[in-house]
Amino acid sequence: MTKPNPFLQTDVALGARDVIPLALAAMSYGAAFGLLAVQSGFSILQSISMSALVFGGSAQLVALDQLTAGAGAVAAILAGAALNLRILLITASMRYAFEGQPWWKILIGAHLATDASIALMQSAKNRGMLASYWYLFGGGSFLLLAWILSAGVGSLLSKSIPNPERFGLDFAIVAAFVALLPNLWRGRTDVVPWSVAAGTVICFTAMFPDQSGFALILGAVLGAVTAGVLTNDE
Amino acid sequence: MTNEIWITLLALGGVSFAIRLGGFLLAQHLPQDGPWARGMEALPGCLVASLVAMMMIKGGPVEWGAGVVVFLVALKTRNLPVSMIAGMLCVAGLRGLVMLN
Repeated sequence: MTKPNPFLQTDVALGARDVIPLALAAMSYGAAFGLLAVQSGFSILQSISMSALVFGGSAQLVALDQLTAGAGAVAAILAGAALNLRILLITASMRYAFEGQPWWKILIGAHLATDASIALMQSAKNRGMLASYWYLFGGGSFLLLAWILSAGVGSLLSKSIPNPERFGLDFAIVAAFVALLPNLWRGRTDVVPWSVAAGTVICFTAMFPDQSGFALILGAVLGAVTAGVLTNDE
Repeated sequence: MTNEIWITLLALGGVSFAIRLGGFLLAQHLPQDGPWARGMEALPGCLVASLVAMMMIKGGPVEWGAGVVVFLVALKTRNLPVSMIAGMLCVAGLRGLVMLN
């Protein structure tokens, strides 16, 4: 008989376990960032620092792209911020887990919020409970470590790696979000808000192809406003 | 360029942190029921719907087909790793077929 390990039964360990598939998907993306960053003139320390501080794949890649294009630091910061702005909506929906916590826990918890936090909150919901602070902390800190590690590995590998697209690795993140849809679906009340969200993104991107960060925020906000204004909840 | 890199990554890190903290502070000052609460509750779903729409715009027929497969597998199994692997196999297979032709 093996003794149950007390740590493995904590919320921290549970969060880390639940985030593993997402962390694996993120790592291929993180390694790609490290690789491109070093190829564009970043030092390994810079590529790791950016992953630790910004902790947002699309924001990091866009900022990197702006810098290599010679657009300057201000343009790089603004473009990256536009893509990370959606995290504002994520920490907003994490309110219940942060409320009443001491400020230092709120500061740490806020930094660990990513798109994966939505998946974690949903996994907890599927078990019939609300994601606790420590559950989100466990998932977020595991993901951050994996993210920093993968940036380091990518930086070191910057010579040559086999084409990851051939193996469908780049699709892993897309698949993770598509797979979230059935779980997030709450029924017919979601038809109109979701259509508004997706439709806004499609129309906005057709008009402004380079502003994907704003398209995402506009789509999510208009969808949520639609849900708020529609008074058909019973 | 190395100073520019440090400035960018430190400032973007600071702005990203302010965004993360700002979301929580903003939500704290919003009412707990009524239209605001309904909107906040719908927000994660709308955000993921937006992300998926954006990803599909950036993809082509291979990604659309694989996206449908992932959706159906997720609907049936409700299992994230299994759905992701199904999608990746599908993309790898379809890309292989496209390359053969």
